[in-house]
Amino acid sequence: MKKKKSPLWQRLNYLKPKEKYADGHSQLQVGDRDWENVYRRRWQHDKVVRSTHGVNCTGSCSWNIFVKDGIVTWEGQSIDYPSTGPDMPDFEPRGCPRGASFSWYIYSPLRVKYPYVRKKLIHLWREAREHYDNPLDAWKSIVENKEKATSYKKARGKGGLVRADWKEVTELVAASVLYTTLTYGSDRNIGFSPIPAMSMVSHAAGSRFMSLIGGPMLSFYDWYADLPPASPQIWGDQTDVPESSDWYNSAYIMTWGSNVPLTRTPDAHFLAEARYKGTKVVSVSPDYAESTKFSDDWMSVRQGTDGALAMAMGHVILNEFYQKQTVPYFEKYAKTYTDFPFAVKLKNQGDRLVADRFLHAKDLGIETTNNEWKPLMFNKLTNDFALPQGTMGTRWDKEGKWNLNLIDERTNEKIEPVLGFLGIEDSCQEIEIAYFDASTRSTMKRMVPVKSVEIDGEKVYVTSVYDLMLANYGIDRGIGGQVAESYDEIEAFTPAWQEAITGVDRNLVIKIAKEFGQNAIDTNGKSMIIVGAGINHWFHSDAIYRAVVNLVIMVGAQGVNGGGWAHYVGQEKLRPAEGWNTIATAKDWQGPPKLQNGTSFFYFATDQWRYEETSMSELTAKTVDKARYEHAADYNVLAARLGWLPSYPTFDKNGIDVFNEAKASGYEKAEDVAKYVAKELVDRKLSFSIEDPDNPVNFPRTLFVWRANLISSSGKGHEYFLKHLLGTSHGLLNDDEDSLRPSEIKWREQAPEGKLDLLVDLDFRMAGTGLYSDVILPAATWYEKHDLSSTDMHPFVHPFNPAVASPWESKSDWDIFKALAKGISDLATTLELEPFKEVVTSPLLHDTAQEIAQPLGEIRDWSKGECEAIPGKTMPNVHVVERDYKLVHKKFTSLGPNIGKNPYGGKGISWSMEKEYEDAKHAIGTVEEKGISKGLPNIEKAKDACEAILRLSSTTNGKLAVKAWKALEKQTSLSLKDLAEEREEELFTFEQVNAQPKTVITSPAFSGSEKGGRRYSPFTTNIEKMIPFRTITGRQSYFLDHEMMKEFGEEMATYKPMLHHTPFKKDRPPVEGKEITLNYLTPHNKWSIHSMYYDAQPMLTLFRGGPTIWLNKDDAAEAGIEDNDWIECFNRNGVVVARAVVSHRIPRTIAFMHHAQDRHIQVPGTNLTKNRGGTHNSPTKIHMKPTHMIGGYAQLSYGFNYYGPTGNQRDLHVVIRKLEEVDWLED
Amino acid sequence: MNMLDWFLWGIIPYIVLTIFIGGHIYRYQKDQFGWSSKSSEFLEKKLLRVGSLMFHFGIFMVLGGHFLGILVPVQVYNSLGVTEHQYHIIALTFGIPAGILAIIGLGILMYRRLSVKKILKTSSKGDIAVLFFLFVVIASGLSATFLNIDSHGFDYRTTIAPWFRGIFIFRVQPELMSEVPIWFKIHLIANYAFASIWPFTRMVHVFSFPARYLRRSYVIYKKQANQLN
Repeated sequence: MKKKKSPLWQRLNYLKPKEKYADGHSQLQVGDRDWENVYRRRWQHDKVVRSTHGVNCTGSCSWNIFVKDGIVTWEGQSIDYPSTGPDMPDFEPRGCPRGASFSWYIYSPLRVKYPYVRKKLIHLWREAREHYDNPLDAWKSIVENKEKATSYKKARGKGGLVRADWKEVTELVAASVLYTTLTYGSDRNIGFSPIPAMSMVSHAAGSRFMSLIGGPMLSFYDWYADLPPASPQIWGDQTDVPESSDWYNSAYIMTWGSNVPLTRTPDAHFLAEARYKGTKVVSVSPDYAESTKFSDDWMSVRQGTDGALAMAMGHVILNEFYQKQTVPYFEKYAKTYTDFPFAVKLKNQGDRLVADRFLHAKDLGIETTNNEWKPLMFNKLTNDFALPQGTMGTRWDKEGKWNLNLIDERTNEKIEPVLGFLGIEDSCQEIEIAYFDASTRSTMKRMVPVKSVEIDGEKVYVTSVYDLMLANYGIDRGIGGQVAESYDEIEAFTPAWQEAITGVDRNLVIKIAKEFGQNAIDTNGKSMIIVGAGINHWFHSDAIYRAVVNLVIMVGAQGVNGGGWAHYVGQEKLRPAEGWNTIATAKDWQGPPKLQNGTSFFYFATDQWRYEETSMSELTAKTVDKARYEHAADYNVLAARLGWLPSYPTFDKNGIDVFNEAKASGYEKAEDVAKYVAKELVDRKLSFSIEDPDNPVNFPRTLFVWRANLISSSGKGHEYFLKHLLGTSHGLLNDDEDSLRPSEIKWREQAPEGKLDLLVDLDFRMAGTGLYSDVILPAATWYEKHDLSSTDMHPFVHPFNPAVASPWESKSDWDIFKALAKGISDLATTLELEPFKEVVTSPLLHDTAQEIAQPLGEIRDWSKGECEAIPGKTMPNVHVVERDYKLVHKKFTSLGPNIGKNPYGGKGISWSMEKEYEDAKHAIGTVEEKGISKGLPNIEKAKDACEAILRLSSTTNGKLAVKAWKALEKQTSLSLKDLAEEREEELFTFEQVNAQPKTVITSPAFSGSEKGGRRYSPFTTNIEKMIPFRTITGRQSYFLDHEMMKEFGEEMATYKPMLHHTPFKKDRPPVEGKEITLNYLTPHNKWSIHSMYYDAQPMLTLFRGGPTIWLNKDDAAEAGIEDNDWIECFNRNGVVVARAVVSHRIPRTIAFMHHAQDRHIQVPGTNLTKNRGGTHNSPTKIHMKPTHMIGGYAQLSYGFNYYGPTGNQRDLHVVIRKLEEVDWLED
Repeated sequence: MNMLDWFLWGIIPYIVLTIFIGGHIYRYQKDQFGWSSKSSEFLEKKLLRVGSLMFHFGIFMVLGGHFLGILVPVQVYNSLGVTEHQYHIIALTFGIPAGILAIIGLGILMYRRLSVKKILKTSSKGDIAVLFFLFVVIASGLSATFLNIDSHGFDYRTTIAPWFRGIFIFRVQPELMSEVPIWFKIHLIANYAFASIWPFTRMVHVFSFPARYLRRSYVIYKKQANQLN
C-alpha cells in the first residue's frame, strides 16, 4: 500500500499547473479526497440482519438492522417485499420514524441490564433462606407473615431495587410458584402477555411455561377493549380484516373512528394511492383527525354517538335500496349470505308482542339431529318453511351438509327464500322493540308482516329477520306502525332523529348513505369502512359496531375485495396459528390449558367490582321488567357457573385437594370426578372463587408479566390495581361504602390490599410495570433474539434475528422461561415432589361441539334448580390433569408426542399430523438427553421453536393447508382444496422468511384467500366458496336471539347512549379556582405505543416531552387554562397531572389523554393524593357488559381473546383544573 | 535591560511562534475534521448577524491598521512626507471606530454565547476561551490606543514595529521594548496568550478563507481517488 500523503503536503499544490478544459469553463481538481471517506464510513457497517419490532404495531414492517463494531448503529426499511401484482401499488415504503428510532433503547439508560429484586424482599428472602433449608418454608415464612408481607408489598413502586443473580432469582420465583401451587392451587399462578403476533415465540415461551405448571394465561384483546364483540356476534369470527393493500381495491372508503395516517403509518400510503385512483374517502371523527385530511367529506360526530349515525345511515340504505327498489345484487347477497330470510318467532310479553327467537326445526316437529340448532327460512318454491343447509346444527351433525347452498337439508329441494313476508303475510302485527337514548328507555311500536304457525297446538306468529330489521330501523312499508314518512321526521332512526344526537347534518347523512349504497351497486360491493379504537373503546362498542357493520352487509360489501369492514386496533392476526397455538398452550404434552378472560380476572383481582355504581336495570330494555341482576359482577358469576366464561382461580379449594377428596370418596375416573364436582357444587360444599374473590384462599398469588406494561399502559383502573392487587400507595379517591352490593358474591366489609405475593416482570426497559414489580428479569430486545411476527395489514411472516448477542445479563423471553422451567424442575427434584393430579375446569368452547350446549338461547341456572348440573353442558367441563413439576423443563424444551397422536387443527377442523411430527424430528433434530423427551423434536433454542411453528401451521406449510381444506371439504361437501393446492409443496423455513418476505398460504385458519397473488380480504372464501359463517344460521347475523341479548335490548343493532357517569358521587375534593368537567378519552398517541414506546428520547423530543392532555380552546378558556399549563385531571378513580395542549382541533366536551404516557417521565405531584400524579389510566375504571359474557350458544361461546367482556374505559368524565403549584416532590 | 525584558521580548516570542506554527501544522495533520469555524448560525441567527458582521468588519480594519503601523517601516512614511502627527491623526480616526466596532461586535457575540441556552450548551471550552482572549486583546489594544491619543512623543513605529519585524528576521532587539508604555505591553502579552491557544480553537478558520474559490472554474472534475499521485 502506498504511504498516505499528509494532508498539509497535499494541500500545498498551488504550484501544480491546473488542467483546464472548455476555455477554462471546467477544470480538474487534484487534491486530497480522503475527507470523502468520512462520509463513506458513516454508512459502512459490518453486517446487516433482518428483524422487526414487537411493539403491537400493525405495521409489522421488516427492517434491516445495521451493526458496526459490535454495536447496533441504525436500522433501515427492508425493500424486498413481493409485489402486490400488476396495477397495484406495492407495500414499500414500509416503516416509520418510530421504528427507525428503536435502536436507541438497546443502549439507553432505561435498559434493564440485570435481574433486580426489591430490596425489602430480597433481604427477607436471604434471611429466611438462612433459617429454612426448604425454599418453600422460607417463602411461606415471608408471605404468610402479615408484617413481613406488608413491608415489601408497601414498597412496590417506590424504588429500592437491587441487583440479584439469576440463580437466586430463579429459586425465589420457583419457590413462590411451588408454594402457591401446593398451598392454594396452580391456578393462582397467573401469566399475562398480550398480542402473540408481535413476537409469537416470546409469547409462547411464557404461555408454554404457564400451561405446563397449570397457571392460567390471561387474555388481552378483550381486556384492551380492542376486541370488537360485534365480530363474533355477527360472523362467529374473532376478527378478520383486509390487509392494507386491499384498500386500494376499494371505490368508497369511510374511516370511522380510525385515524389511518397516525396509527397505520406504514399502510397509509395505500389510502393516498386509492384517492389518486379516484376512491372517495369519508371521515367520521369528532376531532379534526389526521385521517380527516384525507377525506372528501367529514362527518364530525359527537363522541360516542356513532351508533346513532350508523343507524340513520342504515335507515337510508334500507329505505333506498331495499324498500323503494329491489337491487338484484343486494337481494341475492342478503338471501344467501345473511340471516335476513330466517324466520323468527314472536312471543307475548304481557299484552305486548316482541321478537323471540329463531324458528327451529324442532318447533315444527321436524325430527333431525340438533333440531334445536336448525333455524328455518320460508321457501317460495314450496310455499313452506325449509331447513337450509349450513346452520349450526348441520355443522355438528356430521352429515357433511354444512354449506351455504340454498338447499333443504332434509328434502334436498332447492330453496328460493323470501326476504320478508310482506305480500305473503297472514297478517301484520304490532311489535315492541326496545329504544334507548340519553334521556329515555322506551319502546318503539312497529309493524311486521307475519305468518301464523301452530307450535304445540298454539298459534304462534312468525316473521323474518328482514321484516324485523325494517321495523327496527323504522322503515315505512305502508303497513303502519310508529315510523317516519320522510327523512325529516324525528323518529328512530331517521337522519333527522340522529341530528340532535350526533350533531351531523341530516342531509350529509342521507348523501353519504346513498353514495355508499350506490357505489356498492356500481362496483359489486367495493364499499369499505375502516373502523378502529375511536368507536370501539366504549361500553356499548358492540352496539356501535353492529350498527356500522350492518351497513357493509346490507350493501353486499363483506367478503368482497375492496369492500367490507376493516377493523384495526393492534397486531391481532397470528398467521401461523396452529403451530403457535400448539407450542403456546403446551398441548403437545397435555391439556387443557387454562385460558382466562383478562377483563373478568382484573375486575375481581383489583376489586373494581366493589365500587360498582351502574345498576344493570338502568341499561336493560324497556321490554323487560328489570335486569336479572343489578350488579354486573353477578352476571359474571352466572357466566362462570354456566360454563360461559372461564373462571380461574376456579374453586375456593386447591384443585389438587378437590381431586384428592374425590378420590377419597371413591371417584378417580375423569367422568366420575366431574360428576362428583358437580354434586359438590350443587350441594354448596364447593364454591367458585368468583363467589368470594376477597377471600385470601382465592387470591391470585404470583403474576408473571412479559412483553407488556400492565401497571401503567393497560391497567385500566390503575389506582385499584395499586390499592388492592399490589397493596401499595395509591391515589384512589373512591370508597365502596355505598356502592352496589352483589347478590351472588360474598361481601367482605374489609377489602383486601396487596393480594399478590409476587409480581414478576420481564422487560428490556424499566417502565411502569417494572417499577411496581418485585422481580424484574432483563429481557432481550427485538434485535437480540429469534422470533416471528405477523399482522393483519400484510400477508407476510417476518423473522426477528439477533443482530447482537443479548448484552449485559439479558436473555430472550424463551431463554428466561426455559431457565424458570429449569428452576422449577430442579426445585421439584430437590424436594422430591411426586406427580399430582388436579381438577381443572374449562368453559364451553367456540368451534367445538360444546357451542351447541345450551339451546334456544335460554338461560338455565343449575344453582337455582332450573336444570341439572351437567359438566360440559349446563356448567363448565371438569377435567383431571396430572402434573409433574420435575418434568416441566424437559417438556418445555421438546415437542411432545400429542402432535402425532391426537387430532390436530383449529376452528373446528382437524386432521392427523403423524407424518409431519416424524418429519419434524428429522428436520429440527431430537433430544438426546435421557428422560421423557428423549428422541422428541428439540426446541431448546428459540430458532428451532420458530422452525416448528412454521412447519406445524397450515398457512406456512402447503401440505397442511391442503389437509386442512380437505378436512373442511368433508364437513361441507364443497370443493375447497384448490385454494391451496398450487402451493402444496411449499414449506416455509426460517431461512426462507429471513431471505425475503413470503406471502402466507391460503388456509381455513382464516377466511380470506391469497390464491394467485390475490390481496387478502376476509370472508371471501365464505362468499365465493359457500363456506358457512360459524354462526347459528351459518350466515352473517343481524339478529341475536339469546335471552340476555333480549334483556338488554340488543337482538338487533340499535343506538345505545354513553353510560351516565359523573366524576364524583360524594366526597368531592373542594373546588379550587375554575374547573371544567369533560368526557375523558384515551386514544392512540402518535409518538408512543403501537409504534414505539413513549419514554424513548427520540419520541419525547417530538412533542412536549412529558404527559399532555388535549382540550378545546373554549373549554380551556372556561377553566382559565392556557396552553402548556400544568393541569390536574381527576375523578373518583384517581388523578393524573399533565400539561394542557389547547387546540381548536379537539371539539368541546372532550379531553384527550393519549394512552400509554408512562408515569416515570416528568410527572409532578398533586395535592389531591399527596403523591405523583398518576397515569392516563388513573381516572379510569372498567365497566362490565353482561351481554359480552354469554356462552354455550353458537357464535356466542367462549374463545380465548374471542369473546368476553371488554375492558372499556371511555364512558367516563373527569374534572380538569389548573395546577396552581407544581411540586416535583424532589425534597 | 533586565532579564525580564529579555525573556518577554526575546525568548517568549519564539516560543509563541513555535506553538502557533507548529500547532497549526499539527492540527491540520491530525484534525482535518475539526478544522472549522464551527458556525452556530442554525442555532441562533439574529444576534449573530449583527455581532459577527460588526466584529469581522471591525477586526479587518484593525488588522489593516496594524499592517500599516507595524509591518510598514516608518521610513516609508517619512519618505512619502507623512509626518508623525499626520500619521497619528489618520491612525486614530480609523483605528478608534474600527476598534469600537470590533469590541461591540465581540460583546454581542459574547453575550450571545453565554445567554442563548442552545449556544451555551453546544459551546466547547475553546469557544468561550477564544472570545475571552479576543476580548482581552482588543480591550487592551483599544485602551492602548486611547491612552496614546496624546502620545507624549511615543511612536510605536520606531519601537514596537522594528522589534516585531526583527523577530522574523532573527534580529532580536528586546531593548526596543524597554521604554514602551505598559498598556502596549499588556496588549502584546495578551496577544502571546491568544496566539498560543489559537491553533487549538476555531480560530484556525482564518487560514481557510476560500480564496481559491474566486479563481475557480465553474465546473470541477475530480480525479478518481486511486489515480491520485
